[in-house]
Amino acid sequence: MGLRPKILLGFLILATMLLVAGGWSIYELSNIGISVQRLLDDNYKSIDAAKSMTEALEREDSAILLLLLGKRDEGREILRSADNSFEKAFETARNNVTISGEQGYVEAIRINYDTYKKLWAQNIAGTAKEGDLNWYFSDIHSSFLNVKSAVKKLMDLNDKTMYKTASNLEGRAHRATMPGVIAIISAFIFAVIFSFLVNLLVVSPIIRITSGIHDYLETGKSFNVKIETTDELSHLASSVRSLIERSKL
Amino acid sequence: MRYHIILRYIGIILLLNASFLFVSAVISFFNNDSGLFPLLYTCLIATLFGAFPFIFVPSAEEISNKEGFTIVVTSWLISCLIGMVPYVLWGGEFTATNAWFESVSGFTTTGSSILTDIENVPLGLLFWRSATHWIGGVGIIIFVLSVLPSMGKIGMVLYRTETSPLAAANFRYRTKKTIRIIMFVYVGLTILETIALMVCGMNVFDAVTHSFATIATGGFSPKNASIAHYHSMPIETVIIIFMILSGINFGLLFVTLSGNIRALFKSTVVKFYLGMLAVGVALAAVNIHGTIYPLWVDAFRYAAFQIISIGTSTGFATTDSNLWPPFAQVLILFFTLQCACSGSTSGGIKTDRSVLFWHAIKQRITKFQHPHAVLKTKVDGVAIDDDTLDASLLFIALYIVIVFLSTLAICFMGIDIMTAFSASAATMGNVGPGFGLVGTVSNFSQIPELGKWILTGDMLLGRLEIYGLLLFFLLKSWK
Repeated sequence: MGLRPKILLGFLILATMLLVAGGWSIYELSNIGISVQRLLDDNYKSIDAAKSMTEALEREDSAILLLLLGKRDEGREILRSADNSFEKAFETARNNVTISGEQGYVEAIRINYDTYKKLWAQNIAGTAKEGDLNWYFSDIHSSFLNVKSAVKKLMDLNDKTMYKTASNLEGRAHRATMPGVIAIISAFIFAVIFSFLVNLLVVSPIIRITSGIHDYLETGKSFNVKIETTDELSHLASSVRSLIERSKL
Repeated sequence: MRYHIILRYIGIILLLNASFLFVSAVISFFNNDSGLFPLLYTCLIATLFGAFPFIFVPSAEEISNKEGFTIVVTSWLISCLIGMVPYVLWGGEFTATNAWFESVSGFTTTGSSILTDIENVPLGLLFWRSATHWIGGVGIIIFVLSVLPSMGKIGMVLYRTETSPLAAANFRYRTKKTIRIIMFVYVGLTILETIALMVCGMNVFDAVTHSFATIATGGFSPKNASIAHYHSMPIETVIIIFMILSGINFGLLFVTLSGNIRALFKSTVVKFYLGMLAVGVALAAVNIHGTIYPLWVDAFRYAAFQIISIGTSTGFATTDSNLWPPFAQVLILFFTLQCACSGSTSGGIKTDRSVLFWHAIKQRITKFQHPHAVLKTKVDGVAIDDDTLDASLLFIALYIVIVFLSTLAICFMGIDIMTAFSASAATMGNVGPGFGLVGTVSNFSQIPELGKWILTGDMLLGRLEIYGLLLFFLLKSWK
């Protein structure tokens, strides 16, 4: 192989190492971006919906207590608004099922909430149930806790998945930075080896050829430079040798 | 010393590693796991680093012993360095120190691991982990010499430097033929064991990786519980058979496979090796029967596997030998130090040196009885010269001193003596597991960072038979 392709090969190798490392880092970084987006879309949305549902449930519980105190209009108004908020948040959660097992939790919320809603949808204020705290604790409150617990399960599932995804992101960040580190170390080592070989197999023979010509011109010492490689430098040495032989004739 | 020539041959070693990295990357690709990019990128680096000096530097007709020696030792170090790159790139439990430990442990066929959850590592990386065993088992240089068409005198110098001086006696062929024989036995045993394990119900991946680890007497398993994961008597039996075979000199195995079965049982070293294993298994079985295992069949089953696994320097496990009585543990420690025959893939002091050791003692006693007698040590009718005898005894002494110093250093870091001693002996002998924190069902993750570096030094010293690595650091004084 000639000198030009050899030197070009050296630089190409350096460039390839850095390019691939750079490309890989970009790929991993863009994946981190996608993962963060997914984290927000898939998990955070569901967690937010679960929080809204819990809040709505708390408001409904307060409204039921108002109904038990006989404040029908005020209680019904809060119930209507809280129910709307709950349904809206539930729709968000239902349309954002992204984790395995999440569907089951969403269905459990629906079933428990329907049971709970049936209890407070009936007339309370102005009936025998008004002021009946026993009825509240035996029926309403336990049903309220069931819905709340189902919502909490959904939130926990998404919390755990979010933590897992975030932990994976740490690994991805490591994978995005390490190729760069390895490429820098490799490029440095390669540069040292490359310069050593260029010095040994290119620069050094040129110096020896120059010195051989100089010795011939100064002292008439025969040109006896041996070049190990079979490239332009060995051709140059043999050309110089031929030239000197001819000039002797 | 011509460094560019050394670079050229190290380049070839890197290309060999690159080919195994590529196969591992292909496995990762088909398995769609996160090991793909780390393996591919390392493969690329190894190829570029390997191909460049190979193209740039013209080949040499001859190399000096010193150059050959430098090529061999540097090849091991460079292979261990390139071997750690995919681990570091992948991350997880692999810090720089852990990746170096795992890589050195792989190439030196030690089989000690820092991984607490092996099954969490992608399959491609697990394959690479086992492949390091297989490359290192037969010797990196032997591998290259068997692949390259002809390296003439250079091959001879490299071969002489790579192989144990004790092993040479069993090979009376030319270098090229000897290498072919070694590779024939090595590859043949690997294929046979893979098929046998698949017949016993293992899947292809597990069968190949376990065969790599068995024939190289390594011990890396892709399962957290090692061979105990399978709870299978046929699998254990197959592995026991191949562990025993891998501990025998490959030259002798070849002669045996060629039809001369008597040669195997005529060899004093083989008789000593098999006899010691048999006695070890029997004693361990008697000791653990009743205390650990109520049934004799279980006592023999577990004793056979553990003793043979350690006695061949493989390091697979089917049970927690930390729970065994002290006698059985000391027995295991003895085998951790001795291991199997030279000329095999085994580590440790080696049975050959043990045989010479006992002959030297016998000779010394006779000398006391008959001070003027001219005595000559003979093994299988071959006279052993005093130089070989002295070198073997000195090796044993140096070996014990290094294990002692290493134990001292690890103890200084706050580790208990049993863990420190067994870890030092197990890494020096390229065995794998020890006792205490580094027992058969645990790993080396709890050893301090500096301790891990010391233990990798032990692994390399053991693999390069001490003098190899010591001479490398004293190259300047080698005129």
